[in-house]
Amino acid sequence: MEMLKMTDISKSFFGVTVLDHVDFSVERGEIHALLGENGAGKSTLMNILAGVYTRDSGQVVFNGKPLEHSSVAATEQAGIAFVHQELNLFNDLKVYENIFLRKEITGALGILNKRAMIEQSHALFQRLGVDIDPCAMVSELETGKKQLLEIAKALHANAELFILDEPTTALNNEEIAHLFAIVRRLKEAGKSFIFISHKMTEIFALADRYTVLRNGKFIHSGAVADTTPMEVTRMMVGERYSEEEAYIQRELGEPILEMEGLCGHGFHNIDLTIRRGEVVGFTGLVGAGISELFQTIFGELPITGGTLRIAGVPITSHNIHKAMLNKVSMIAANRKENSIIPDFTLLENNYVSEHTLSFRHQHISKKKEIAKYEQLRQKLNIKSNSPDDMITALSGGNQQKVILARWLNTQADILLMDNPTQGIDVGAKAEIYRLIQELAQAGKTILVNTLEIPEIQKVADRCVIFYHGDLKAQLERRDISEEAVMLQATNAINTAEVSK
Amino acid sequence: MEKNTLTARKSGSITKAIGNYSFILIFLAIFVAYLIINQGATTWSGVMNILRHSAVVGILAFGMGMVIITGGIDLSVGSMLALVGGLTVVVFNNTNNPVITFLFALFAGAMCGLINGVFVGVAKMPAFIVTLSTMLIYRSIAQYYLRTMGLSIYNMEGTLSTYDAIYGFGQAKVFTVPVVGIVLILVTAIMVYVSTMTKFGKRVYAVGSNEKAAHLAGINVTVTRVMVFVVTGVLAGVSAFLLLAMNGSMDPATVGKSYEMYAIAAVVIGGISMSGGKGKLLGVLFGAMSYTIIDKIIASLGLDALINDTIKGSILLVAVLIQMVVPVIRGKLKKTGN
Repeated sequence: MEMLKMTDISKSFFGVTVLDHVDFSVERGEIHALLGENGAGKSTLMNILAGVYTRDSGQVVFNGKPLEHSSVAATEQAGIAFVHQELNLFNDLKVYENIFLRKEITGALGILNKRAMIEQSHALFQRLGVDIDPCAMVSELETGKKQLLEIAKALHANAELFILDEPTTALNNEEIAHLFAIVRRLKEAGKSFIFISHKMTEIFALADRYTVLRNGKFIHSGAVADTTPMEVTRMMVGERYSEEEAYIQRELGEPILEMEGLCGHGFHNIDLTIRRGEVVGFTGLVGAGISELFQTIFGELPITGGTLRIAGVPITSHNIHKAMLNKVSMIAANRKENSIIPDFTLLENNYVSEHTLSFRHQHISKKKEIAKYEQLRQKLNIKSNSPDDMITALSGGNQQKVILARWLNTQADILLMDNPTQGIDVGAKAEIYRLIQELAQAGKTILVNTLEIPEIQKVADRCVIFYHGDLKAQLERRDISEEAVMLQATNAINTAEVSK
Repeated sequence: MEKNTLTARKSGSITKAIGNYSFILIFLAIFVAYLIINQGATTWSGVMNILRHSAVVGILAFGMGMVIITGGIDLSVGSMLALVGGLTVVVFNNTNNPVITFLFALFAGAMCGLINGVFVGVAKMPAFIVTLSTMLIYRSIAQYYLRTMGLSIYNMEGTLSTYDAIYGFGQAKVFTVPVVGIVLILVTAIMVYVSTMTKFGKRVYAVGSNEKAAHLAGINVTVTRVMVFVVTGVLAGVSAFLLLAMNGSMDPATVGKSYEMYAIAAVVIGGISMSGGKGKLLGVLFGAMSYTIIDKIIASLGLDALINDTIKGSILLVAVLIQMVVPVIRGKLKKTGN
């Protein structure tokens, strides 16, 4: 029996179609994997289901009843729970207070009946088989527990359909196994799940059926038992799967970045040498320590042990300014939070970093700045009308190119790119890959941190895999494959596999 | 279709200009009201006096504007005026040297600002709390120090040989324009240049717009925050010197009282966003002058001076309302235009 039926869903933002007549359905008591690359339309579809966005066209029927132009509150009422990647919990409240938020049990005069709430929370956790103290502060819980608390909270609100958006990214294997056991138990009890994940092993271990979206279009739906990871991947990436790579064979120069036993916040004992002109792909699960390593090289986080040499010079005291003088630059993850200066124009966003190096000449010659920017704009193919346009008016891909231009403007030799293609459409991604190759050919050294292994296959000379702060393995270009990388990244070789 | 979008863009740019320069509209409205109310009594020197009487608050407000662009606030500028002014009087009476007196005013202001800046920038304390504290401290020191000397006001010795040079500076006119007003224009020119054409100025905006991104772009956020408070202090020193040049004396109990509020109001009327990152310092000049004209209007109407703040408060409300409403109207025009 169909619990959820979404038919003919379309949605566009600012004239760009992100969902194009998509059909999607979930049966009662089923775990349904929703698959697709970043930008395929998965999260838009789920946000429409959860009432965050309104659809342009199409119908949603849940438990036989149509959901019309619903709000978040209305879909929650209907029994749909969205367990977000960024957890929607109040860190400064206690566990039971989070569960009972807006649904508090009160006695006479509206006084909270804390004991009843705590007892009910206890019972709820017992039913779910999780060990959380209802009176603990949420801020003190580990990420895994928070995830389970989110599910418990939804369960308490009588949810029947749970949307799990990449629930395992921040979890270790034990926590993943626990989560999966709970999901299976709830499934037995007739609950349904929409499971969004990029990890094929998890999908094949957990899901019953799958639906693939690509570029906002419905591609295929079927039983997991009838397919293979290879086939699903092909459906996800489409014809580009066989498309030629951006990679260009290059001669590498002298060692430019040397780490010996390097320790810092979130990583330890890293031995690694990177040569001029090399493109190195870094990957690992969230918490692997790669972002921290990048931030340490960039001077944002302190070195706690070992040595770091940039162009042969050992780095002792370190900050961002000194790193920039050493021609190191970093394109930070979370572009909106960490890179974009929203009240600045393209030109201002472009020159802001270079000006911290040339601060002795305080006067800004706009003419010269525009000339420099225009050169970079052409080189990076930034699509914009005027350098005086606000950066927030650009698409994600073009914004990222402006940030890349910002760092090229500083004449940096080493580019640290932390998740550079986050929230960028497929076309712009391909351009970024091409740029990485061109820059490497011109002698720039580029370190890319990404969760997307195909990305590494496209651009990198070498793949470095981290697991929980350790350098787990290095793969030469010819050895990079999705399976090989995932095996190392999840530490599956050393721990029991997540299985049924 | 094409024509449609063209007109939409045109009307968009007009409302945009109104949104960006609403401070000029507000100023003109108040100025025209002043001319109408005064009718024949308006004189050239009366108009020039607007500049002269805007100078002290105006110059304070430029510092305030920079601090607010970084997302902070400085409540201590009025008290700084009292403390720096008081100490400057003492220095003058002991040195009888206008140059040393002026440089001391700048230096004392810079030190007062540096204290604010270190707490806000280095210790990362909220600017509101830090400057609320120093607001209490600076004025209290100014009053207490005076008491220890057994005096009731800080009075520049009129008998000193260079007294006339300083006092004369405060009253002087160049081609009928008061010198104090010229100083205000000069400060305006410098501050507008610094905020729009220098790397330091852009840094100030960047910190207010997105502190995290500014930091990761290589900007030293701590130094920037300290610097804007120091600049505010230096400008308070300039203000204090002008105040003394105009009056020759000052009472630390009353001088500069509520000036921090008038400075904030001038900044807000000038179109600078309290959340930081947005706005033009040029607006501060018009914001400050708008408030001076209101004083003149009330005086020429013969109204009780106590009604003064009612009118100033109301104008502030209307000014901010316009700034909030214009973008909404612009957005609606855009939608219907397309």
